[in-house]
Amino acid sequence: MKRLALAFAGASLAAALPCASLAAAPVALGPRVTTSHLQGDAGTAVLQTASGAPVASLELWFRAPSTGFGKEPVVSLARLAAQAVAASKPIVGDSLGEAVSAVGGKLAITVYGDSVAVSALVPANAATAIAKAMTVAYFSPVLTADGLKAAARDVEADAVVAAYDPDVVVRNATFEQLFSAGPQRYPALGTVKEIAAISFADVQSFATRAFRVQNAVLSVAGTVDATLLASVSSGRPASADAAAEAPVASTPASAPAPVTKPFDAAACGFGWAGPPIADERAATTMDFIADYLFRSETGVVARAVAAKFPSASLSGQFVTLNDPGVMYLGFSGVRPDDVRPLVDAALAALRAPLDPARFEAARDAFEYHILADLQTPSQIADNFGWYAVEGNLAYAPGANDATGPYFEAANAMTPASVAEVAKRYLAGPPVVVTLSPEAKTKSAAGTGT
Amino acid sequence: MRKIAAAAALATLVGAGAAGASPLRYPATVTQATGGMRVSTQADPDALLTGVQIFVEAGLERQTAATNGAAALTAECVARTPVAVAGASQPLRDAIASLGGSLDYTIEDDNVHYYIEARPDRMPQVLALFGTALAHPDFSAATLPAARAEIVRHAGDGEHNPLHVGVQMFKESFLEQGSAYPEYGTAGSVSQMQPEAVRSFHDRTYRRGAVWASVAGRSTPAIDAALGSVARDLPDGTLPALDVKARPIPATAPRIVAQRDIARPFVVLGFAAPAPGSKDFGAMLILQSMMQTAFQASSATTVLPNDRAIGTFYMFDSVPSSLVVYVNGGTGVDPSLALRAIILLSKAMSDKPLGADSLRRFQTQAEGAFVTDTTTLADRSYVVGSLAAGALADRSINGAVEAIESATGADVQRVAKTYLQRYIVAFVLPRAGSAQSD
Repeated sequence: MKRLALAFAGASLAAALPCASLAAAPVALGPRVTTSHLQGDAGTAVLQTASGAPVASLELWFRAPSTGFGKEPVVSLARLAAQAVAASKPIVGDSLGEAVSAVGGKLAITVYGDSVAVSALVPANAATAIAKAMTVAYFSPVLTADGLKAAARDVEADAVVAAYDPDVVVRNATFEQLFSAGPQRYPALGTVKEIAAISFADVQSFATRAFRVQNAVLSVAGTVDATLLASVSSGRPASADAAAEAPVASTPASAPAPVTKPFDAAACGFGWAGPPIADERAATTMDFIADYLFRSETGVVARAVAAKFPSASLSGQFVTLNDPGVMYLGFSGVRPDDVRPLVDAALAALRAPLDPARFEAARDAFEYHILADLQTPSQIADNFGWYAVEGNLAYAPGANDATGPYFEAANAMTPASVAEVAKRYLAGPPVVVTLSPEAKTKSAAGTGT
Repeated sequence: MRKIAAAAALATLVGAGAAGASPLRYPATVTQATGGMRVSTQADPDALLTGVQIFVEAGLERQTAATNGAAALTAECVARTPVAVAGASQPLRDAIASLGGSLDYTIEDDNVHYYIEARPDRMPQVLALFGTALAHPDFSAATLPAARAEIVRHAGDGEHNPLHVGVQMFKESFLEQGSAYPEYGTAGSVSQMQPEAVRSFHDRTYRRGAVWASVAGRSTPAIDAALGSVARDLPDGTLPALDVKARPIPATAPRIVAQRDIARPFVVLGFAAPAPGSKDFGAMLILQSMMQTAFQASSATTVLPNDRAIGTFYMFDSVPSSLVVYVNGGTGVDPSLALRAIILLSKAMSDKPLGADSLRRFQTQAEGAFVTDTTTLADRSYVVGSLAAGALADRSINGAVEAIESATGADVQRVAKTYLQRYIVAFVLPRAGSAQSD
């Protein structure tokens, strides 16, 4: 469904399909959802009131390339800037990180190819104060040298961990092959050396442009009501050129070739370009296919791989993006030749209509999985934020509980329509990336190390 | 290396914080007898799903050395028992998945609990299937070998996790009888367990009077009715009460050492801790939160438990309860310095009562951490169900929040003095030859 479990990719291609503005008129969603603008007719706020745990999830989403707005990509820039804002202590009061910690909450920053998400899960009785602190911090960013230093330390530590994680490395490499240009080619986190080379001025410039109210979606869910929105800062005054950022294009590679990279452990990744978010029926069907074939423990391919290679791990999903979406499938602990026949056989079978009873059971399971991924305030707020920055908030699963465009599309699927989408998007050869310990050995021998 | 910050430096309350704000409360929990079974429900009308926990008093404490791993093997067999859906027979777990739901189980000291999640309209059918398998699990050659392989695999996974190894070492020193065994047994014990032993464990422990349930999420009369029938086919009766006691922790801080194939050392400190509903419960929740945040790396974003240099678990659902503080040498922290800091903090907390301002800060933080850690239907239903049998049965999950609110500075001092001055230290060290890369 919707998005990357690991926060290192995402795609948009503005040239192919104009993206909905972040400042579009408020969308009518479910009965428990309020939408409004954050300032005048700029920015978007979406709030879902829900019973349950006495918590609120507050998420600020910005549409911004992870590699910055300049011609030359600066890998890690968005993450470092977002982290630095959260760590910087204003002249009066606490940093956002301290404020969230003080109320027992949790703060996370996630960067995708074309967006930045700042997420706080807090007790409901602190939600108004944290919403204010969060919007003040980001809409009028005050960066300090100490804040940037602390942020660099944390981002560098995360980058080191990511560099040794085969799931992250193979995913990044697959997206690098899928796209020939644009932020999707690059990981959200680079090397320690790259992070250390980013200047204070670069960070400040990025923060000033990206973290504007006009470019923001504030997504809130939990046991709070719309009065919370009155506490939100409207940030710096709007100027004539203060529109939301347009999506930055990432160009799909025309004929991506298989690639092998040296790494300590065996892993492999497969990627296919898929439908844009505007094609709701096809995108929902791709979600269904990912669930039916690749979902851990229950998917057809996941089970076949587990039976044959018990130590292998699999992660697969359709990443719903502005244009194009991406069907991604990654394995660690195996080589492409091990699993490719299983993947190809499963996809070939899906290009013919499924048995009706099997299809209905698979759709029931799929709809349950979607609902299970929408049960906490964090999941709901995250979902709204993602679909808003990708340009189709109304399509967000759960926007109208278990109805609305997403579930309408799921209910409209038939075995034949699933087969048709599989033929359209998954019949061609995928991008294939191999991480190989042997290649690492050869590489080391070649360089004399 | 990440710095260990002092507690006071991290405890600054945001100016517009939660002081004086409305109290944090979950939806009220209602407990009733349904079909003779106790069911505690935290209804949540906005939820799109229903989460149900079925508890059976067939946990670790009912095992013996000869049946080490039987609780898990029995549960896995239940999950794999063939049931019929639309005329086709398939394992229970798959059948529930095909209906739009999921089934998991967890082995605890005093129970095994099965978590079932589904759309509300499907839940009655799912519960009926589950009730059939619960009463008549398949221990035949068609199911048991695969179940055994799965449990052996879990047991092996635990051996590769240094936190799991360290906590288990503490439990083996602290607890007695079956509670001291690992939740999946050992590869050896499970591999050798005969079908008769598993069947006997089931026959002995799966009794109608030893089952209770909890619900979080959407609640309907049809689900209530179905819950009333879940244990209907089990033999009548209850289990004899067990009096599982903790071994006294000596003042000498016993140290136990194990070696594993890990790159960096991992240290676990285990303390005795009060049970939920006791007068010390709220103060211990505050102390746990204090220890968690006192040693949190000074990152703006929240560090995940696996990446923390020092972390804590208050295992209030264990019988007897305990508190674990761990030091993850893989994060670059110096374990000996970290141990010293933990011990100094526990002594400082026992020296004098917290002042009113500090207490309020730590209460706010502890309450916030508690509620933000308990948001999923699985977590909420588990906490509701685990509290249902104890002194907090009436107030349930809100009772835990209220316990934090009502604790005093003197309570915190008393609890630090009572529980945090004696501990067991478990060292999980790299085996000679294990990789140690910088």
